Amino acid sequence: MRRTIPLVLTFMVGMYPIFAFFVPHASISGVNQWLDRALMIVAAFALPLGVVNLVGMNLSKIKQKRAGWPYAIVLLAGLVVMTYFGVIGVITRQHAGFHPTFQMLFDNMVSPLQATMFSLLAFYVASAAYRAFRARNVEATILLVAAIIVMLGRIPFGDMLTGGRMTPLSEWIMNRPNAAAQRGIIIGAALGAASMSIRVILGIERTYLGKSRD
Amino acid sequence: MNLKKLLYIDRRIIYLVVAIGALIPIIRPIGLPVEPTDPVIGLFDKLESLSPGDAVIISYDYGPSSEPELNPMSSAILRHCFQREIKVLIMAVFPLGGVNMAIREVERIASEFEDLEYGVDYVNLGYKDGGQAAMKALAVSIRDVFPADVDGNDTSTMPILMEVRNYDDVEVVISLATGIIGEWWADLVNAQFGVPVAVGCTAVSAPKYYAFLRSGQMIAVLGGLKGASEYEELLKRNFDWAREVYSDPAEMKLAATTGMDVQAIVHVIIIVFIIFGNIMYFATGKEKGR
Repeated sequence: MRRTIPLVLTFMVGMYPIFAFFVPHASISGVNQWLDRALMIVAAFALPLGVVNLVGMNLSKIKQKRAGWPYAIVLLAGLVVMTYFGVIGVITRQHAGFHPTFQMLFDNMVSPLQATMFSLLAFYVASAAYRAFRARNVEATILLVAAIIVMLGRIPFGDMLTGGRMTPLSEWIMNRPNAAAQRGIIIGAALGAASMSIRVILGIERTYLGKSRD
Repeated sequence: MNLKKLLYIDRRIIYLVVAIGALIPIIRPIGLPVEPTDPVIGLFDKLESLSPGDAVIISYDYGPSSEPELNPMSSAILRHCFQREIKVLIMAVFPLGGVNMAIREVERIASEFEDLEYGVDYVNLGYKDGGQAAMKALAVSIRDVFPADVDGNDTSTMPILMEVRNYDDVEVVISLATGIIGEWWADLVNAQFGVPVAVGCTAVSAPKYYAFLRSGQMIAVLGGLKGASEYEELLKRNFDWAREVYSDPAEMKLAATTGMDVQAIVHVIIIVFIIFGNIMYFATGKEKGR
């Protein structure tokens, strides 16, 4: 019974939107709209679930003094402080629900830290490109040449050097070979997602239910 | 000199060269020319084709990590919309700071327009959890999904939401996106409800969106700083007010056109390193193993 009820629920809420998509009658779509609203609420509950998991993992890391445990303290302290001011902001309904301290921490810590992490990519990409982009064989050479054309096409120097030919060439690579490859990846991923969804809806894939104790 | 040493040059030297290359244009901007491309012109033309009073949704689907690339895009698009008296519905489905980005950007740009009235010309609906479920529910009623705006004001009394009820009243959705969210708008909102979708994304995400652009599921793709700088260039070429705004030194510090100088120099450095690395690779007889 512990597994049957979730399986039946999954089947029903999985099949109904598919049915409603093909039968757009008001009586059918009304329930579907209710399901959409319910999904927004369920999605919101994923956040506390993630928080509980994060706290549990990091507390055990600190207790066992595993590698990098001081960072776990920083993480938990950040979580507690931001949550505290976040909740106070929502309760007091200050500016858009953001407590001034929350906003200050966001603007002066979260924002620059995240921007810094992303900015570091420029350095790593430069280093990685120097080491990895080698004309070792035909395929690697094609990739190398395409990368240089696209990089030059994304900056004004490319057109300056080639009399305006680099941007069209770069756009051609993006619009044709790149788009074709991306399309293949997207369609492949979508088919994978669809087949996994069908497996879940039909109860073939049950790992989301956790380990069986039956 | 040992060529092998040059082949395996210390990465700290590369980091230093990139840092110097990035710093120089920040201290002394070069002002390199920008040429708009079709994926960006698509959005400009779409907004130009709209009449005053038409409505667009701008979804802030990015966080602080993408701020340097996507904020200039947001500023240029918002200015274009407000100048053309297009009604703008602001929202966010990205949990890690999307709504903060929206608040900052909208407050800053809206303050440039004296006649703009909140709740009539634009509204910031805030963040909604649930991603695709929220996007789908907007097709039925925007007010049901967002019963209150970002400040907690009742949206049912706002004139803008009396006129713009659902996707039927929206001319285009513009998602300023990081990660997969731009795809959701195309997969769901364009495919199921036929609303034109344009995406402004980080440069690393841009290649995948070309597939959607080619299939017609997106009308435009603004890729990274280049996309933003091209949009700024389009505004400057077509409007006096834009030339005035983007000649202000304070504004130019935030503009993508200035950032493009940095990107151009760093790209050149990377290309030079790649070419140099390959020369060394062949000069050392295609050294194997590393």
